[in-house]
Formats: sequence, C-alpha cells, structure tokens
Amino acid sequence: MVITVFAVCALTFFLMNVIPGGTAELILKHTFVGLEESATEEQLNQISSRYNLDDPLYIQFFRWLKSAVSGEGIGVSYVYKKPVLYLLALRLPATIELAGASMAIAVLVGISLGIYSALRENKVSDQILRVVTLFGVSMPGFWIALLLIIIFSLKLKLIPVAEYGGLENLLLPAAALSLHSMAAIMRVTRTSMLETLGQEYIRFAKAKGLSIGKIISRHAFKNAMLPVVTVIGFQMGSLLGGTIVIEQIFAWPGIGSLLVNSIYARDLPVVQGCVLAIVIMFLLVNFLVDILYTYLDPRIRYG
Amino acid sequence: MKKNSFIIILLVTLLLCTSLATSGCTDTTENLGENETTDSNTLKIGELWEIDSINPVEDGTLMCEKAAVVETLVGANENFSLKPGLANSWEQLDENTWEFKLRDDVFFHDGTKMTADDVKFSLENVIAEDPRVASMLKITSMEVVDNYTLKIKTSELNPILPGVLHYPDTAVISPSSFNEAGEFVEPIGTGPYKFESFDEQTRVLTVVKNENWWGGEVGLDKMVLKGMPDPNTRAMAIENGDIDFTVDVPYSETDRINALEGVNVEKYRTPRVYKIDVNLAKEALADVRVRQAMSYAIDRYEITENVLYNVGEPAAGPFLPSMVWANKNLTPYTIDLEKADELLTAAGWVDADGDGIRDKNGTALKLNLLTYSARPGLPPMAETIAAQLKEVGIDVETEILEIGAITDRRNEGNWDLYLAAYNIAMVPDPEYVLSNWYMTEGPDNNPGYSNSEVDSLITEARKITDQEERYKKFNEVEAIVYDEQPMILIAYYGCAIVKKDYVKGYVFDPTAHDYRINADMYIEK
Repeated sequence: MVITVFAVCALTFFLMNVIPGGTAELILKHTFVGLEESATEEQLNQISSRYNLDDPLYIQFFRWLKSAVSGEGIGVSYVYKKPVLYLLALRLPATIELAGASMAIAVLVGISLGIYSALRENKVSDQILRVVTLFGVSMPGFWIALLLIIIFSLKLKLIPVAEYGGLENLLLPAAALSLHSMAAIMRVTRTSMLETLGQEYIRFAKAKGLSIGKIISRHAFKNAMLPVVTVIGFQMGSLLGGTIVIEQIFAWPGIGSLLVNSIYARDLPVVQGCVLAIVIMFLLVNFLVDILYTYLDPRIRYG
Repeated sequence: MKKNSFIIILLVTLLLCTSLATSGCTDTTENLGENETTDSNTLKIGELWEIDSINPVEDGTLMCEKAAVVETLVGANENFSLKPGLANSWEQLDENTWEFKLRDDVFFHDGTKMTADDVKFSLENVIAEDPRVASMLKITSMEVVDNYTLKIKTSELNPILPGVLHYPDTAVISPSSFNEAGEFVEPIGTGPYKFESFDEQTRVLTVVKNENWWGGEVGLDKMVLKGMPDPNTRAMAIENGDIDFTVDVPYSETDRINALEGVNVEKYRTPRVYKIDVNLAKEALADVRVRQAMSYAIDRYEITENVLYNVGEPAAGPFLPSMVWANKNLTPYTIDLEKADELLTAAGWVDADGDGIRDKNGTALKLNLLTYSARPGLPPMAETIAAQLKEVGIDVETEILEIGAITDRRNEGNWDLYLAAYNIAMVPDPEYVLSNWYMTEGPDNNPGYSNSEVDSLITEARKITDQEERYKKFNEVEAIVYDEQPMILIAYYGCAIVKKDYVKGYVFDPTAHDYRINADMYIEK
C-alpha cells in the first residue's frame, strides 16, 4: 500500500510537470496576469524563485516527500496560500459525505433491485428494470445531474440548485452520482444471483421446503455477493472520479472541485494533496473489500 | 406473499441506512447563508469564479468591484476617462514624479481615518505581492508629504500610472487588515460594504452595509457572494430563485431566461476583444493582401448573432467605440467575397487544381487556427471562421487546446492563426494595449509585427502630456493596423447581466473587469 501511494504521488508530480506550458507561467497567468496576457521574463523569474520552481524536478519531489514523511505537512497552496492539509481537512468531509451517501444508495438500491430482478427473471418488471439500468450505466453523470436539477429544483421547486449544508442539498448530487454505480451493481447482483440460484444446494434447500426469503438470506446471498463486492470496490474508484464533475455542477465544496481548480491554476501542492487523499480513500475501500472477501468466503486467506 | 415482504423489508432498511449514513455527516455545517436570506434587503450573488481569496491583492476584482469592500485611488467614467476615487486629484510634477491629493473624509471600516501613510502601505504591499502590477506601476519610491498628499517617483516616464491605480488590485486597505506577524487576516477597506464573514469550507463571502461611507447612503443591508463556476448552474440557480444576481449564463440561454417571469437579462459590451493573431513569420500570411482578404471573408455580424447570441458586437479597432480615445472613423470590415477573391488572386493564390482550395506554386493554402475552451464563445467561433474562410478557398483546420499547450506551440512557431479574447482595458489607457500588441517586440505582439511608423508614433505619444494630442497619435496607430491587419479583430466581448426584477438601481460599469456592484443598488419587493 505504501508503495502504491508513493508511486501515485511520483507519477502525479511528474505528469503535472510534463503537461505543456511552464508551471511558473501558468501560475502567473491564473493568479496575476489573466489567461491571455503574456508574462515577462522578470515576472517569471520572480514566481519561479518564490516557489523554488527552478530546482530540478527530482529535488522538488524529494523536498515534498521529505516534508510529507517527516509530518511537516504536504506543502502550501500557491493559490490559497494555506497549508494543503488544512485545505484538505476543510474539503474532505464534503466529499466523503457525498461519496458515502452515493455509495450507500448505490449498494442498497443496487443489490435489492438486483435480487428482485433475479427473482423475477424474464418477467415484465425484470425487463423494465434491465432497460432502466442499461440507461443508468450509459448516461453520463453530469447530464443526469442537470436533468435532476431541472425536475426537482426548477419544476417541482423542492430543492435549491446548488447549496451545501442540509440533507436535502445532498439528495440531488448523491442521486446523480450514484446512478451509474447503482446500475452496475444491480446488473452484477442479478447475474450472480441467477447463477447461484441455479446451483444444486439451492435446489436442495427448495426441496427441503425453505421459503424463498430464507433461501436468499441464508444460502444464496453470501455466495452471490463475492463478485458484487468486487464491483463495489471498482465502483468506488469511478465514484470518486465522478465527484469531480458532480461537485463542479452543484458547487459542492469537496476535494473534487478543489482538484479541478487547482489543476487549471497549476497549484501543484494542492493537486498532489488531492490525488493523495483520493488514492488513500480508494485503497482503504479496496482494503475493506478484501476483508469482506475473507468473511464472505473463508477459503480466501491472505498470507 | 413472503417474497414480497422480504423485498419491502429490504427497501425499508435501505431507506433507513441512507438517511443514517447521510445525517451523520451533515450537522457540521449549519451556518450557511440560507438562514439569513430572510432579510429582504440582502442581495445574493452567483459569482463567476470560486472564491479563492479575500485578499484584495490576490483577488482585487472580487473585493473591489464585486464585494465593494475596498476602493481604488482613481475611478473611471463610462467612456474610460479617469475620475477621482479616493484621490481627489493628481498631477505629474516632472517626468518621473507624480503627486496625488487624497480625500480627507475617508474612514476605514475599523473607524480610523485614511491617510497618505495607509495609501503608501497599500501600494508597497501590492508591489511586493503582485509582479504584474509592480511592472505596470514602475514605482521606485513614495514620499508622504502630509496626511493627504503622496508623492510617487517612477523609474521611467510612466503616463499610465493613474490608469494603473484604477486597477482593483491596487485598492487601499488598512494596515489593520494584517496581524502582528504581518499575515493577512481580513480585508478592512473604505468601500460601501464591510467584510462580515467568509466561510472557508463553502467559500461563501458575506458583506454588510457600511453606515459611514464617504460616498453617502448605501442601498443594500447585506450581500452574500457564492462562487458558481458552472454557467448552467448559475442559470438554474437564478431561475430557481436561489440567487438574485449573476452574470454570463450560457449565451444560448439568455433569451429564454429573459422571457421568464421576474428575471431580466441585459447584454453589454465589455472591454475585451475576440481577435485572431496572424503568424507573420509564415510566408503566405506575411502578405498583407492575404490578411485583408481573410478579414473581408469573415462575416462578423453572423458571428455575433449566431455564435455569441448578441452578447458582443462586431469589432473594428482594438478599442470600444465608446472609449474616449478610440478612433471613431473605423468601421468593422464587412463581408465582401469578391474583394477577398481579388486580393487573394492578386497575391498569387488561385485554385489551380479545382479542389476548392487555393494554391500557389503547388502548395495549397492550408492554415491551422488554435484556440482554447476556457471562454465558451471561442470554440464555436473558431469553427464558424473556418467555415467562412473555406468559402474563399482557404482551408483552415481548427485545434482546440489547453492554454499551456498553445503557449508551447507559439514558442515553437508551430501555428498560423490564434483566436483569443484579449483584455483591452486592464488599465484605462490606450498606450498599454497598443504598445503591448503592436510595438516591435511588444509582450503581446504574438504575430511578430514590426512597423517603424507605429513604433515611433507610440514613443512620441509617451512624451505628450496633453491628452487630446496624445490620443491623436494613438488614432493614427489604430488606422495603420486597421489597414495592415496583423491581428484580425472579430468582435467585442459581451457580458450578460442576469438579475431579478426586484433588484433595482444597477448601473453597468464597462470599466469593471467582470461586473461592478454599485452602492446605489437596492431591493424593492
């Protein structure tokens, strides 16, 4: 895990520096001069020396790494002039809230509908659900977001368009964000459930006279969940990616919107910090998924 | 049936879990502006950009023009001529010395009186922090003559100094805006509104009425500014009534929103111009006839109407006709395909092989047109221009790149045409733009244009203190570059102000860098 984090940090750092356009020049354009205006040599030198941008990249990277490992913090934002950790602490709760709520919706609705759909295989309700999820998988999140705003905010006047705070403000972004994952989870649950229900031990359970509810909750559920859990782990990645777009649309104060703004302004320390936070979240979720595996299938053990 | 009850139980747990999962993390943030919106005289503004900083040196446009917390020494009229601001008058004593007389009735929001020492402090602060402003001011030293008189020395003759002091980043702030360690805490200015709070998490800025403003009565009790970087979000937020005032909803939406009950859209010209830089290092483009032909082939009226939805206007010269120094004799090039054909044929470009693209000595007239997407009008405008140039046999390939990539391409010389939207009144003075754009080696002279007549006219103008005479020189420059077209000007930038009908007293300020909130604005429901 440590190696993964290190690799991602190094990659982000060097990639950000490979992107066309000098870092000093872009900082200057975004914070002082205006996008189109050209920067003079003198201004460039001033910015470069202010942020030590003249040093070779590997020195810049090791300076960053040293202060990160020694616990001094992970740099200071060029734009906000505040420590990156402080900014992350401000923004992270909003993202966790949004991603968490979306994940909860996606998992609960996805799995329940998946099971329902599997039980009603090839009946009308199953067909409808399958078409709807196909729709959910294929629609881009930002489009769904705008659609939801039009319906719930503009037509029904239930929820403000872009505010942060109460539960009602969370609903639209979380719904928009979760739709894709929900559909994906539902589809996998359905397939996996159908496969499990076709197994001999299920037929045996049926023969024993167990109710369908018991069969599912006692026997089929756990066995069918293995592939679903894997997909949930993957979906966490796409969810975190999705927050970047969704936060922008709903003016949601999370790290997604922070990341986007920082990339534009070449605020390298913040970009680095956001990527670090996202990677750690992703790894943690996948770590949890791994633990869940061993619980679901005790045959899986790790060295 | 058992099957059904199982599903119901699942659904109920699901609902319970989601509400639990979400309610756990929401109670941290209850202090938002929405509780306060009950005050009837509060203006809620959907700001264009996310609010990064409340330090006037870092975001002067926000703190000075939008939140109206701080003010500059020099103001500007609608025609961009300068007028007194916090300074009553100014005078150039000799080539390198200026004297500014300050108002003696101005108080900071903390109750202290504004003196020349505070002004000196503010200018020193912005010079240290902002390399751009420092290079425009060219200040070497400042001397406090008395409480309300400040002498400023510049390193060289700098006729645009008063104009630069209209730039929002140079606004005057009280030294008490900083703590003892010299760190910026909050903006304490002199403007019609006082800083109240800034929520660092949601980045919502709240300002309240300054009861003791030197300029008189202030219209609103409070303003709440929230950054909404997405234009569609701004449109929906004002439609839904979440905000009362915003700018630049998607241009294509302006007419629909204007038709809504209770909302109105006003379109204005702003001091920024869409223009094409022509790479004069390319052989085909070094020929003035080719450039003129391109200008005749571009239908500026079609572009403003169908690409910009009339948020903008066709451009003739680099300056808005309403600017006091603009050359009023220039009119935009109008589409004239015959003339374009004549010019191109005279330049030796004819369609010899009948493929619809002109060629000369076996090479086809193929050009690339670079632009970026940060300003929404640019990509569709580039496509339209490419289509229009195709009509006269010029094959243009548009490339939409990120601004950094464009800089790299330009440094390599690997470009033909570059469409961008340039600011034409960062500073309300014509010299700044003309010398940056058209002088040999000027910092924004991307085409590589060099005309000794233009250079000498601008240099001569620097020494002239009489404004009328000075402007005459600049008018001549404008006329020359109008004929030579090293940059093809397309249209003036526009701005769509969207507000609720109950927002009264708004006056558009064309000299503002996005929009300016004026102190007379009020709400009448």
